[in-house]
Amino acid sequence: MKSQKTQSAINTYLKETGGWVASQLEACTRCGICAEACHFYQALGNPEYAPIWKLEPLRRAYEQRFTVAGKLKLALGLEKKLADSDLEHWSKIVYEACTVCNKCAHVCPMGIQLGPLIHEVRAGMAAAGVVPADLAEATEKQKTIGSPLGVTDEMWRERIDWITDEWEAQIPIDKAGAESLVVFTSIELMKFPDNLAAVARILNRAGENWTVSSTGREVVNFGYFEADEELTRLFMYRVFKAAEELGVKRIIISECGHAYDAFRWAAPNMMKVPKGVEIAHISEYIHQLWKTGRIKLKEGAFDGETITFHDSCKIQRRGGIIKQPRELLRVLAPRSFKEMTPNKEQSLCCGGGGGVISIKEADANRYAVFEMKIEQLQEVQARAVCMVCSNCRLQFVDSVGHFNLPVKVHGLAELVSKALV
Amino acid sequence: MNWTNILNFSRGPLLHVAMIIFVAGLSYRLVRVLLLGWARDRAKNKGSKLWGVIVNYLKGLFVLPFIPWVRRTFRHNELTFIAGGLFHLSLFLVLVFGTAHILVWKSLWGFGWKGLPTPILAFFSAVGIISMIVLLINRLTHPVLKMLTKFPVWINWLVVFLPMITGFIMARHLWFRYEVIFSLHLISVSLLLIWVPFGRISHFLFYFFSKTIHGAQAGKRAVTP
Repeated sequence: MKSQKTQSAINTYLKETGGWVASQLEACTRCGICAEACHFYQALGNPEYAPIWKLEPLRRAYEQRFTVAGKLKLALGLEKKLADSDLEHWSKIVYEACTVCNKCAHVCPMGIQLGPLIHEVRAGMAAAGVVPADLAEATEKQKTIGSPLGVTDEMWRERIDWITDEWEAQIPIDKAGAESLVVFTSIELMKFPDNLAAVARILNRAGENWTVSSTGREVVNFGYFEADEELTRLFMYRVFKAAEELGVKRIIISECGHAYDAFRWAAPNMMKVPKGVEIAHISEYIHQLWKTGRIKLKEGAFDGETITFHDSCKIQRRGGIIKQPRELLRVLAPRSFKEMTPNKEQSLCCGGGGGVISIKEADANRYAVFEMKIEQLQEVQARAVCMVCSNCRLQFVDSVGHFNLPVKVHGLAELVSKALV
Repeated sequence: MNWTNILNFSRGPLLHVAMIIFVAGLSYRLVRVLLLGWARDRAKNKGSKLWGVIVNYLKGLFVLPFIPWVRRTFRHNELTFIAGGLFHLSLFLVLVFGTAHILVWKSLWGFGWKGLPTPILAFFSAVGIISMIVLLINRLTHPVLKMLTKFPVWINWLVVFLPMITGFIMARHLWFRYEVIFSLHLISVSLLLIWVPFGRISHFLFYFFSKTIHGAQAGKRAVTP
C-alpha cells in the first residue's frame, strides 16, 4: 500500500535524481562485487547488506518514473511500486547495516558512489519519517536542546568550566576577534573530556587565537546521519552563524568524521556558507601547527607497546587527511607505530559510524563488524590504537569493553598533547 | 521460405532495423540522463579532480583487469573477476580482431586492419563462451547474485550468449549449413542490438560516467581512487 509517507519518499528520490544519480544507477551491472567490500555483509553474511541492494528504493523510484525499462517492468507486473512496507524493510538495512563509509565505491568496477547514493536513500526515509526510533530521538534532541546527547546550555557551560579546572586548560568562550572557532562534539564533552582538554592545551601552547562558541557548540550533525536535508542545514547553520558573529577566519572541526564531511564537502552545495571561512579538521590543523614549528613534540614519547592507527571513513577515505596523522604518529612512536592492513583508502570501517552506534537495535551488527577489527588489531599485536574521530572512538571503547580486550583507545589530540615539549 | 531468403532478410532489413533501434535507443537513454541536470559542485577542491580521473581509468583499464588479486574483494569473488575479465577480453579480441568482424567494420567505416590468426581467435572464442557459462552458474548459486538478478538480467545473459555460440559454430564450420548458422548468428546479433537499450548491457556507455565521477570525487578529496 502506498501512503502519503511513501509518496514523500518517492518525491525526495525524484527531486534528488539528477544526472549524477541517474548515470550511476544506470552503470550498475549487477556484478555483486560491492557485497565483499561491506563490513556488515562480510561479518553477517546477509545478502541484503550488499551495498547495491541498499539502493533498491532509489533505483525503483528512478526507473519507474524516468526509464522505459522501468515503466515496462511495472506494466508487465515484474516490479511493484514502492510501498510503506518497502520503506520499513529498507530503513533497517540502510540505517542499521550501513555506516555510509563508502568503501564499496572503491571496489566497484564501475566506480559507482554507493555511499553518497545510500545517503540519498536515507534522505527518502527521513522525508517519510521511517527512521529508527533511537536515531530520530537523538536528532530531535539536537533540534530542541542543541545536542543529541541532551546537553543543555547550562550543562555545556558547567562541563567546559569543569574541564578548564580539572585539566588546567584555558578554554576561551565566545571570544570576539578570535581567528579560529573550534567546535566539539557532545561525545567529547561528555565521554572524552580528555580529548577536549588536549585540544585546548595544544592550541594554547601554539599561541592560537581561538574560541569555542556557546551558540555554535555542537559539531555532530544527526540531521546528516538521518539525511534530513533541512535539519542538516539547521545544525550547520548554528555553527556558521556563530562563526560569522565572532568574525573568525576558520572553523576547526574536532574529532568527528560525519561533521567534517558535512561542513567540508556538503555545506557549500546545500546552503549559504560564510565567505572566506576555511574549514579544517583538528588533525590536519595540529599537523600544520607541528609542521610550522608552532608546537614541538617529544620524539618517541609513545614508543614501547605497539600502537596502530585506525582510519575513519569520513576523515581519511572521504576526507583525504591520510598523511598527516601518520606523520605525527611517526614522531610520537617511530618504533612502535605499525599499520593495520588494509588501511588508508581501503581501510575497514569501525562499524559504529553513520549513526549506527546510536541505534540500540544495531548493537549486534556493530559488534559483529568489530570482530573483524579485532582480527586486524591482533595481526599487528596492537596494544593501543589511535584515531581522529570520536564516533569511531566511542565504538572502539564500547567494543573493547564488550570483548574485554587489552587494547587502549586514544584520540590523536590526546597523544599529541601528552608529548608537547 | 528457404534459408537463403532468411539470410537475406536477417542481414538486410532485420540487421538495419536492429542497428537503428540500438543507436536511437541508446541515444535516447543518454540524452534522458544528461537532461536530468547536473548540479555544480561548490566545495573547494583539496586535490586535483583530473589527476583522480586519470589514475582511476589507468587502474581500471590496465591494472585491475590483469592483476585483480591486489584487491581484497578478489577473495570470494574470484569467479566474477576472472571469468568476467576473460569474457570482456575475449569479446574485445573477437569483435575487433576477428577476420569476419573486420569486414563488417570495414563496410561501416571504410577501413579495416589486420586480424588475429584463426587458432588464437578460436581459443578466445572458446574462452569467452566458457566464461559466460561460468558466470551463469555463479549467478545461479551466489546468494547475493541470486537476489540481485531479476528477469531482465537473465535476458542480458541470453542475448549475449547466443551470438557468441552461433558465431563460434559458424567460424568452426560445425554441424549446420552456412546459410542456416549465418542467419541464426545475424538474428541473435539483431536481438542483442534491439535489447541493449532496454537492459544493463548498456553499462559500456554509463561506465564512463561513474568511472569519471569516482575519479573526480577521489581526486577532489586528495585520495587515491
